Amino acid sequence: MKTVIIGMLGTNLDRRGRNAKRWAAWRPTVSLCQHEDLVVDRLELLLEPRYQSLADQVTADIQTVSPETKVVHHIIRQEDPWDFANVYSVLRAFTDGYPFDTDNERYLVHMTTGTHVAQICWFLLTEARYIPGTLIQTSPPNSRPKEGDLPIGQYQEIDLDLSKYDQIASRFRLEQLQGTEYLKQGIQTRNKLFNEMIEQIEKVSIRSIEPILLTGPTGAGKSQLAKQIYELKKQRQQFGGKFVSVNCATLRGDAVSSTLFGHTKGAFTGATTARPGLLREADDGLLFLDEIGELGVEEQAMLLNAIETKQFFPMGSDKEVSSNFQLIAGTNQDLWQRVSEGQFREDLIARLDLWTYHLPPLRDRVEDIEPNLEFEIENARTRLGTMIRFSKEARDRYLQFATREAQWRANFRDLNSSVTRMATLADGGRISREVVEEEIALLQARWRAGAPSTHEGETLLQNILGTEHLQELDPFDRVQLAYVVAVCRSSRSMADAGRQLFSVSRERKSSINDSHRLKRYLEKFGIVFERIGAV
Amino acid sequence: MSTQQIDGSMGEGGGQVLRTSLTLSMCLGVPVKITNIRAGRKKPGLLRQHLAALRAAAEICDAEINGDALGSTEVRFVPGALRPGNYEFRIGSAGSSTLLVQTVLPALALLERSSTIIVHGGTHNGMAPSVDFLELALFPLLARMGVQVDSTLHRHGFYPIGGGRWEVTVHPWRQPAPLQLFRRGSWIENRATVTSSQLQGHIAERELARVARKLGWPEKALISSDVASLGPGNIVSLRSRFEHVTEVFEAVGGLGISAERVAGRAIRDARRYLAADYAVGEYLADQLLLPMVIGAGGEFTTGALSSHSRTNMALISGWLGASSIAASEGNPDGAPSSVVSIPSGLALAC
Repeated sequence: MKTVIIGMLGTNLDRRGRNAKRWAAWRPTVSLCQHEDLVVDRLELLLEPRYQSLADQVTADIQTVSPETKVVHHIIRQEDPWDFANVYSVLRAFTDGYPFDTDNERYLVHMTTGTHVAQICWFLLTEARYIPGTLIQTSPPNSRPKEGDLPIGQYQEIDLDLSKYDQIASRFRLEQLQGTEYLKQGIQTRNKLFNEMIEQIEKVSIRSIEPILLTGPTGAGKSQLAKQIYELKKQRQQFGGKFVSVNCATLRGDAVSSTLFGHTKGAFTGATTARPGLLREADDGLLFLDEIGELGVEEQAMLLNAIETKQFFPMGSDKEVSSNFQLIAGTNQDLWQRVSEGQFREDLIARLDLWTYHLPPLRDRVEDIEPNLEFEIENARTRLGTMIRFSKEARDRYLQFATREAQWRANFRDLNSSVTRMATLADGGRISREVVEEEIALLQARWRAGAPSTHEGETLLQNILGTEHLQELDPFDRVQLAYVVAVCRSSRSMADAGRQLFSVSRERKSSINDSHRLKRYLEKFGIVFERIGAV
Repeated sequence: MSTQQIDGSMGEGGGQVLRTSLTLSMCLGVPVKITNIRAGRKKPGLLRQHLAALRAAAEICDAEINGDALGSTEVRFVPGALRPGNYEFRIGSAGSSTLLVQTVLPALALLERSSTIIVHGGTHNGMAPSVDFLELALFPLLARMGVQVDSTLHRHGFYPIGGGRWEVTVHPWRQPAPLQLFRRGSWIENRATVTSSQLQGHIAERELARVARKLGWPEKALISSDVASLGPGNIVSLRSRFEHVTEVFEAVGGLGISAERVAGRAIRDARRYLAADYAVGEYLADQLLLPMVIGAGGEFTTGALSSHSRTNMALISGWLGASSIAASEGNPDGAPSSVVSIPSGLALAC
């Protein structure tokens, strides 16, 4: 990589007479080439034609002190070096015509010489990346030198990448979080696939108003992400309305339609006042429907219509109302499976499936656990209003557990409550090793309790097959089958159960049909999936 | 041929590890890989003058090099055939000409024909022994070992402007002789020389006055000379000539140091040497090691070993085996002294 400096001849500072005394004086352009840790391979020297002889002297002197440097003269004509527009256009013309070769050369713009106007122009051109380089400033030796000071003065490179300046960066942190950073709430995630996915979501959410479908297990961060997409679009003034979020699993019966689409006064018993409904509330905003698979088929049809026409009928009304909302749907189910079971409308999923993103479970993003832990700690600090810190030992232990042993069944929800507990129990804001050990024990106990046990399965199996049939089975098959039915029982669908039971082998297969595999297995013992739930 | 691996952070870990490694690599024809160059320094990796030495070495033996970039912390140097000839090297930012010449000199001496090197750069820059030092102290001893060196200083190069010009001719090393230097021999003369350029006359006067007062050297031993140079500069050089050895003690003037303090530094070093008994001073000891190893070895007495010398010795014994070089250190009359012994040397000769 060659180092190229672009700068103007200093008609005052570089002019130090013709006799040998000039060497004792500080000349910025010459001094640039005298540093022990900076070799200038080429110096692009901009000068007015009338200063040619000064330029020749400076060039010859640079050749003496820095034989490595090639000096190239560029004649420029500024009508008035203090006229901003004039100087800018001259320098802009130079940079536009300059063959930058950033693969092989790095560029430093020397801004110590030239008028202040020229300095400002160099700054603007560099900041706007017309010059793909950094600024370099030289300064004279101290007038009261300390021993060891260089008589050639100092130089300082100034990188205008603001993100590199901690103080400035943190000051504007939230306001400045751009795009993907915003979507990640500033969490420095390291998982490559996740980061790539977020990059695409950022582009899509900024450019498109189409529905987005977020899939993934409970607690994987679907609603957080939906919220951040809303905030990002609001920040870019793409939304004027609200963020409206509802979990479809919490809606029951008549309430479903009226909650979503609203109703008129007297539309049904108890409808004493009119209600606008969530779709209307989300007008010019974002509607997040979590667990959309729980929505009834009828509501699905209404929703599809509302997405497509931006219009719908509130209950009890014969007048269509309109709402312009963007929809994000969340689910932890396999919606296509629900379609095959007749539980989900194919036309709706076809509409939702345009942009589908799968948020992986936390245990598949081991490298992101640490940054998320930081994030949660920071949140706990804000919530509790006190400084919370791990002792080093405690932190190491917790991270080791979190990344290697923990199951994170409820994903970020588990992590969040785990940190909340530890932060609350931390005496003097310090999370000790003891607190961490207690927390680990607690988490492990919970996850164990949640796991289907074979004992439970045995009882279940007995109920399904009857004691007689059960005794015909080898103990070898009994144990396995007991576990399988226990999983089936706790799963919503055969596909769900299959996913869990074949979680390892499915990773390696190109086509996956876990439910078929499970069905065949159960058939061997004369068991039908639906019956397990009925028992 | 297998590559010699050198940890550049060993011992003092400075540019010296690089230079010594290059010299040995060139002379032995063994590739060398140096890692961690100048590790832990404020500006780690190769600086400009190291790069100049590396490239000069490569030119002389037609070497293949990787990592020859500013700031590089890893260098691989595969030497080819040494070539006699007329070389010209330019070192930027007043980098030391003497260090560069010392790096390549032993290798050039191994050739059948004489070679001439012209170096542009710093000749009296205070960061390394000056050209005067080499001419007065080192080259006479090299001559006793069998290496003839002609040296002509055309122009002084002071820090930071540099721009000095120095010409050195190295003649073939036909008969390597061991160097035995236990005693200084009888005292011949002392001389204090102040060399200045573009500075007011009172600076040299004050420095010499300090030498006269502190060392009591007579008027006729005090010499002030004004030389032509591109930039201003000043060096105090105290020389003590003995029957078997000449020692030189130098201090360079700079920003923020009074003339008296500059002189004081050279005086302190001279006093320490004159009060002791050993033959070879700190810097000279360091400079003798490589020529003795490459030539026919020998022994000399010196004071406490500097960390610079220890690093050099560790590097040599790491490369050539523990028996190649030895030092015994003692503290007989309260003054530390050492005997450095290089049993046979490689006797490479041409």
